[in-house]
Amino acid sequence: MGKMDKMAAADLIMGLFLIVFGGIAIRTSLNMKVYKTFLDAPGFFPFILGIIFIFLGSVMTFSSFRRKGFEQIKQSIKNFQIIYLFSNIKFKRVMILIALMVIYIFIFIDRLNFIIATALYLFFTLYYLKSANIIKIIFISIITSYLISAFFTSFFRIPLP
Amino acid sequence: MMFDSFLQQVNLFFHAFAAQLYLTNILIIAFATLMGIIIGAIPGLTATMALALLINLSYGMQFDLAISFLLGVYVGAIMGGCYSAIMINIPGTPAAAATALDGFPLAKRGEGGLAIGTGVIASFVGMLISIACLIFITPFIYKIALKFGQWEYFLLAVFGVMICGNLSTGKDPVKGWVVGFLGFFTAMIGLDKVYAYPRFTLGLLQLKGGISLIPALIGVFGISEILIVLEEEIPYKILGKITKIIPSWKTIYSLIPTAIRSGIIGVGIGAVPGAGEDVAAWVAYDVGKRSSKQGEKFGTGCLEGVAAAETANNACIGGAMIPLLTLAIPGSPPAAMFLAAIWLHGVQPGPMLPIEHPGFLYEVAISLLIATFFMLILGLIIAKPIASILKIRREILMPIVLPLTVIGAYAGGVRIFDIKVTFFFGILGYILRKLDYPMAPLVLGIILGPLADISFRQALMQSRGSLIPLLGRPVGIVLLVAIAWIAYSGFRRTIEYTRKHTQKDTGMIQEG
Repeated sequence: MGKMDKMAAADLIMGLFLIVFGGIAIRTSLNMKVYKTFLDAPGFFPFILGIIFIFLGSVMTFSSFRRKGFEQIKQSIKNFQIIYLFSNIKFKRVMILIALMVIYIFIFIDRLNFIIATALYLFFTLYYLKSANIIKIIFISIITSYLISAFFTSFFRIPLP
Repeated sequence: MMFDSFLQQVNLFFHAFAAQLYLTNILIIAFATLMGIIIGAIPGLTATMALALLINLSYGMQFDLAISFLLGVYVGAIMGGCYSAIMINIPGTPAAAATALDGFPLAKRGEGGLAIGTGVIASFVGMLISIACLIFITPFIYKIALKFGQWEYFLLAVFGVMICGNLSTGKDPVKGWVVGFLGFFTAMIGLDKVYAYPRFTLGLLQLKGGISLIPALIGVFGISEILIVLEEEIPYKILGKITKIIPSWKTIYSLIPTAIRSGIIGVGIGAVPGAGEDVAAWVAYDVGKRSSKQGEKFGTGCLEGVAAAETANNACIGGAMIPLLTLAIPGSPPAAMFLAAIWLHGVQPGPMLPIEHPGFLYEVAISLLIATFFMLILGLIIAKPIASILKIRREILMPIVLPLTVIGAYAGGVRIFDIKVTFFFGILGYILRKLDYPMAPLVLGIILGPLADISFRQALMQSRGSLIPLLGRPVGIVLLVAIAWIAYSGFRRTIEYTRKHTQKDTGMIQEG
């Protein structure tokens, strides 16, 4: 299955998502307070955007439907291709990198000193990517996080998280 | 009257010239240009990323120094992309992708140094052309923009997103429009500017202030880029040694027509909202190929091809500054980053800028000019040592970029929430890029969303809901016709794309 074929399925999902999203945007904007007239109301422009999303979503859905997007989704479900996705090396690599970012941004930065948080993030990420040998990784993680911190706080007087 | 106005502009120019020529400013520009060149040269770190990473250094600077610094980075980074495009066939920035077509074959023949020298000199010429255009065209646009009313601003915002969506997607413009209007929607989050009514805040207090522009930009261009680069290991090696760098006078003389033509193309495309340096380089390369006597040699290692692409991508910078300074509409993604930075420093570009900050245009032009000279000098000097920077493994470099993006997102508003916004937009950007959606319309939508919202509502209120007053506004009618034409041509392309792939699929099934 070529790249274009895969896009047809993705476009179909996106098209349907846009139709639903547009519907929600319209509903939410109609529930917003009207002060003088609706033309001036906070919900007016989001209402227009909702209509645009439904229109563009319909165009995408129609286009991808013609490009056999629906058949591809059916085929993918039938052949358990979603399971294959999880065994894809590229996909796994990105998922692990995102997980490391989540840990850094949502856990480490909130709770630890910036230098420690950054050193830990760099250590685990460089280790996972096999960027260098373990001694070099420890050295790079500690020195880099210290230098970044010193450079921004002392030299440019910029606050760190 | 016109002569007085001209003299006033000349006076402002020389005043800005004198004001910009002091040691700290010159050193800052030199440092920024060097940083820009180095970051731009590293594959995976684009010009927008360079600005995203270095924007935090400008927070603590005085306003004029911050402007000089960011412009230096911008100029250096766009040129810097040519080193890796030529030496390892991986463009440092998307703007240098066209450069690789001829640059890399030249490097394989052992003429990489010459290709780099040509690229640097062509970038220098492109910058000079674009600065001249910036100085002479911008005052006229200011005068036109002063006559703009609410209708024109609304239509301009829609035009910006539509043309950007159209130009930044190769096959299916609908995808560009979708992300552009998603950008508009993102800008609706937070308190409404007229009635302070909370819109789409999901009950979160932090969202009442809206989505901050810089964290969103850093996420879209920074974090998504980290993931794109690191998702697979692409080994590369540097081919050949860099020997002779500066081309002969005869070669330079023969490239002048190409450089002038590409420079004008670059400025023109740069002035189109959101089109960007990569589009400029590709168009100039294509035009160069068609109009050159050596057109058949393009793609095989031709210095003219390198000159066409490199002149245009740098000329785009001055072009991108024209709509940015006159209408607050960035001409390219790095220009969007620059716009966000000057907003942060409290300057509001637009038709009122020459009244509020009379010399600002010329300060920008002079800073660009100084950066251009440093780009030429430093670009030629570091051509040989840059090879050792290109050897740094991306698996080491890219993880280090994340903490820098975190600082960039945090330092502007000193809010942890902004780091989370950056992460969210990074993931969104990554997914959208994997699905062939361009990022430039999204950014332009976020920037122009508030303008479109407020001006549309106010225009409708003034006309009591009628569209008839629009018919009496010539600029408005021109914009309306342009939008209709973009929509028509875009939908035609989508229909053709669908038809082509439907036939292809049917053919495949029948063959199968």
